[in-house]
Amino acid sequence: MVFEREQVLKDVISEVLETMFFAMVEFEDAEAGNHCFDYQSEINLSNHDERIVISLRVSEEFAAMITANFLGIEEVRISCEDMKDSLKELVNMVGGGYHAQMNDSGWQLGIPTASEIGSKITHATPEAVGINFAFFGEPAGSAFLRYSPA
Amino acid sequence: MSYNILIVDDSRSMRKVLLKTLQLSGFEIGECLEASNGREAMDILDGKWVDLILSDVHMPVMDGIEFIRSMRDRDICSDVPVVFVTTEANEDRLRLLMDLGANGYIRKPFRPEEIRLLLSRVMGETDGFRTGTSVEGCDF
Repeated sequence: MVFEREQVLKDVISEVLETMFFAMVEFEDAEAGNHCFDYQSEINLSNHDERIVISLRVSEEFAAMITANFLGIEEVRISCEDMKDSLKELVNMVGGGYHAQMNDSGWQLGIPTASEIGSKITHATPEAVGINFAFFGEPAGSAFLRYSPA
Repeated sequence: MSYNILIVDDSRSMRKVLLKTLQLSGFEIGECLEASNGREAMDILDGKWVDLILSDVHMPVMDGIEFIRSMRDRDICSDVPVVFVTTEANEDRLRLLMDLGANGYIRKPFRPEEIRLLLSRVMGETDGFRTGTSVEGCDF
């Protein structure tokens, strides 16, 4: 059975966002990276030979909304640190979910990171899988999946 | 009966979410203590009695595996139930956690019902909890 990376990534993102962040997103066919996003979170999976990097880039509006949902508090009380911390958890769960679907115990999940990236357009590198997602029709974020030698 | 809980996770957000989940589940909480890694948790356990520990696995300084190994070696806290709430998908590492004395684990993302079901079993409670969701890592 072929491991469909893009579909697995979409399924995992949907599951995590719906279960823990109470947000249902729609995936778009457009080329990933053509929107401006404000925050990025990232996690590595590695084994002896290969490394997988999963990056999520989201708008500040979407980050604030899912952080408020995650923490169960109003958006006006959300700080930048809250958003970064929640985005780290988001990518951590996406990485863990992706790993679980790979069904290969040789991989190790790394420690997630999150940062502000300052509203710049980013593009997927040629070797990366890139997908856009929207929330109620508005661009909300992009996800990138990159395999490289360890 | 209320329980003193220790939540161990390097994510402040996740600690808040776990506490809120416990509260919403009707789990009666006495004191709730927090640590951001296993080392901090061990320091807390030196001076405080807790009834239950919820811990992450992937943490800086001291991870969940080292934490439970240290705990189970120390008389003062060797019997305290520990449940891991983790993104860990490596079956070998999950098995190792159970072999080292974890009372169960649950994978993130989780639903509140899953936490409630697992904790009710770990703490020996049978009433007031709905069932019907799968819970991983229970060895009852």
